[in-house]
Amino acid sequence: MNDLTNPVEVLGIDAGGTMTDTFFVRADGTFVVGKAQSDADEANAVLESSVDALAHWDTTVEEVYPQMVTCVFSGTAMLNRVVGRKGLRTGLIVSKGFEDFHRMGRAIQCYLGYAFEDRLHLNTHRYDEPLAHIHDTRGVTERVDSKGGVVIPVRLHEAREAARELIEQGCKAIVISFLSSYLNGTHERAVRDVVEEVKKEMGSDIPVFASVDYYPVRKETHRTNTTLLEAYAAEPSRAILSQLSDRMKEKGAKFDVRVMASHGGTIGWKAKELARSLVSGPIGGVIGAKYLAEQLKIDNIACSDIGGTSFDMALIVKSKFAMHQDGDMARLVLSLPLVAMDTIGAGAGSFVRIDPYSNSLKLGPDSAGYRVGTCWPEGGVDTVSVTDCHIILGYLNPDNFLGGILELDVPRAKQCVQDQIATPLGLSLEDAAAGVIELLDLSLRQHLRAMISAKGYAPSDFVCFSYGGGGPVHAYGYTKGLGFKETIIPAWAAGFSAFGCATADFEYRYDMSTDIGITEESTEADKQDAINTLQAAWDELTAKVLEEFRINGFAPDQVTLTPGYRMQYLGQLNDLEMDSPLKSVSKAAEWDELVGTFDETYARVYADAARSPELGFGITGAILRGSVETKKPSIPHEAEGDATPAASAVIGERPFYYNGEWVTADLYHMESLVPGNRVTGPAVIESDATTYVVPTGFETWLDGHRLFHLIEV
Amino acid sequence: MSSTYTKKQVADLVKGDLDFETVHLMLSMPKDEDRYKFYMETINENLDYDHQAIGALGPHLNYVIRSDDEEIVVMCDCGHDFGQYRSNWKLNAVIYVRDNVEKMEQIYPAIMAPDTTWQVYREYYCPSCGIQHCVEAPTPWYPVMHDLQPDFATFYEWMGQPAPAKI
Repeated sequence: MNDLTNPVEVLGIDAGGTMTDTFFVRADGTFVVGKAQSDADEANAVLESSVDALAHWDTTVEEVYPQMVTCVFSGTAMLNRVVGRKGLRTGLIVSKGFEDFHRMGRAIQCYLGYAFEDRLHLNTHRYDEPLAHIHDTRGVTERVDSKGGVVIPVRLHEAREAARELIEQGCKAIVISFLSSYLNGTHERAVRDVVEEVKKEMGSDIPVFASVDYYPVRKETHRTNTTLLEAYAAEPSRAILSQLSDRMKEKGAKFDVRVMASHGGTIGWKAKELARSLVSGPIGGVIGAKYLAEQLKIDNIACSDIGGTSFDMALIVKSKFAMHQDGDMARLVLSLPLVAMDTIGAGAGSFVRIDPYSNSLKLGPDSAGYRVGTCWPEGGVDTVSVTDCHIILGYLNPDNFLGGILELDVPRAKQCVQDQIATPLGLSLEDAAAGVIELLDLSLRQHLRAMISAKGYAPSDFVCFSYGGGGPVHAYGYTKGLGFKETIIPAWAAGFSAFGCATADFEYRYDMSTDIGITEESTEADKQDAINTLQAAWDELTAKVLEEFRINGFAPDQVTLTPGYRMQYLGQLNDLEMDSPLKSVSKAAEWDELVGTFDETYARVYADAARSPELGFGITGAILRGSVETKKPSIPHEAEGDATPAASAVIGERPFYYNGEWVTADLYHMESLVPGNRVTGPAVIESDATTYVVPTGFETWLDGHRLFHLIEV
Repeated sequence: MSSTYTKKQVADLVKGDLDFETVHLMLSMPKDEDRYKFYMETINENLDYDHQAIGALGPHLNYVIRSDDEEIVVMCDCGHDFGQYRSNWKLNAVIYVRDNVEKMEQIYPAIMAPDTTWQVYREYYCPSCGIQHCVEAPTPWYPVMHDLQPDFATFYEWMGQPAPAKI
């Protein structure tokens, strides 16, 4: 059925490791969620998932794609390419004598991303393969000092030789990254031009990347890694996104696919800096939570996203999420601004084992992923996963798992839990499975509490949003007793990251390091210099942002530019990022306004008393964000009805094990519940994409925005 | 609980044939019951002498039960006997000390080696086959280091197995 007065406008795609979710929204805010198992061919999985979603509306891809105005993609293919080291063979040109720094990974990369025990355990430390092999690395004599002065002029004949060798060796891209190039990029640019010349002479058309053109920021390992990713991982993704875009165009799509980027905005798939989209799925959820909270007028949100493999948490304080300047991903330090998140490697699909010495349960760190657990024999998993326990205890419906696309073997799961967990621990099957769930809930609860209290807040200041495929199953467990103001579970929890992607602005962000310091002893002339330096940086970044939008067909006057900066009290290690109170600066007197905004931000993030203006102020980085208006999904608004669900919403009952006993849980069909309906536990609310568990001692009601409120009674 | 890893996997671990993902998991997770048994079986199968290895001390150096008198000794893969395990095997090795610039420059480029008045390298070799078993990098006056003094009695108790006769 196609409704022309209420067209389908927005599509969000979250191509995760386990599932590919699609999220379609009509103009009035109604939506459907589609799921398909992820596929090596991402375009294919997206189409399958779209078909699944649109079946709910009895319509087809061919009918809907032409109506749509916005499509945002987030996926894991680029990340997998990096983790599996299956990228483009890339040559690296560095300052002579520094050929090894890339593979030394700042010494930190040997344990980055490890669990705490493994960080301590030297035996597990290990360097991954460098992105550029040492044999594909060349040094060129040159040196720029820490103030940007040229100490040794660049020897271009060496660069010429290096380029020729790298191309002859079979490199498919060349990256140039010199020491301190963010302060003075002339050497890098000169070498880039020479490489371009050599490449032409040799009849080659490989891409060439100079770090100064992409990420002109301090810390050469971060900068080099990030520029390398642009060649190594993002180049192949351009091809895949182009294929996805073509496949959608074949079905009549008229929109341009955008990609979720780590800074929380979306960028065109033709973007120059595509490496920014390396990790995007979990960020989509945070952006979605912020958008939803703005609509609901909630200031402080604790975001919790539980998927099959991980639990991601983020805080939104006074409607702002924090940014990490140097995010790390895939065990690489990077110069990418990244929405600050805490992640632990425990999810709804984590493996469960027993420590033979302490005889205690151990979750993860690995998980069954798309192979689900022992309950799905075709998945080939022999180790019990959390999902197996859910199936045994009646939390999940084995006949309607992921809408029934997988056929589950419950007796096999029972046998495995019995053999691997229950018998060794001397427990009954149910108690063993329940112990696993309790342990997971406890560990998630502790991490959530630790994340909030470590930042100096209390859960009672926050509303908790719970989403992700496993969010509604675990929400009661990991929020129990923490004292959140409220726990909210969107009916579209399973597609929430995809939803979030669709709410993100079309926004490019560029960063540049600056070395500006002003103390009480500085003169007006010093302040004027500082202002000039900052504005020069903004001008350079503006040109880059406008260029990105030009590639996507937007004129400069359509772009809203937001300059920002990172400031610190001189001598402190941490800086804070903020939007500039002034669109541009030219006069020394404006310095005080920049400082004023920093002082306020500092007092908000830390405390009034912690301010230290006597130290002086430094600007460590200039930031420029440019955005254009996009169509965003609206939140549904429905009138609230009766507290008692309609008889048609009740689909039966099921034995459910909670608190050491079997009880009978009422089963509801999620889509049949209407706003105002109230459900008291024990109950299980099922939909194709997710299952919402309301145990004894809890109740829930559905509001007019199709958000479930979970209440401890 | 039975072993999670097979003898073949443990043998591959010793050989260095496993992918790091698996090695990482084997290192991080609690050791399964049969690990020691499989590990030592693998080591013993690769040794040419007829003494029984009961612990690894280096890539080519093991604690073994000497077949003639059941004493636990440290032994090179070539069969060279470094003596009873409670004393330091290094004192019975051939020792080469790099304690001047010339010796350091054999292994490092000029000025990239330590100042030998602060740090020297002591290399320990097998007197029979000449294989290098260990290198230590102490200050020049520091005594020969005794790297490990295993408590076999407790170890076998933890394992729930009878200990060798002459511990």
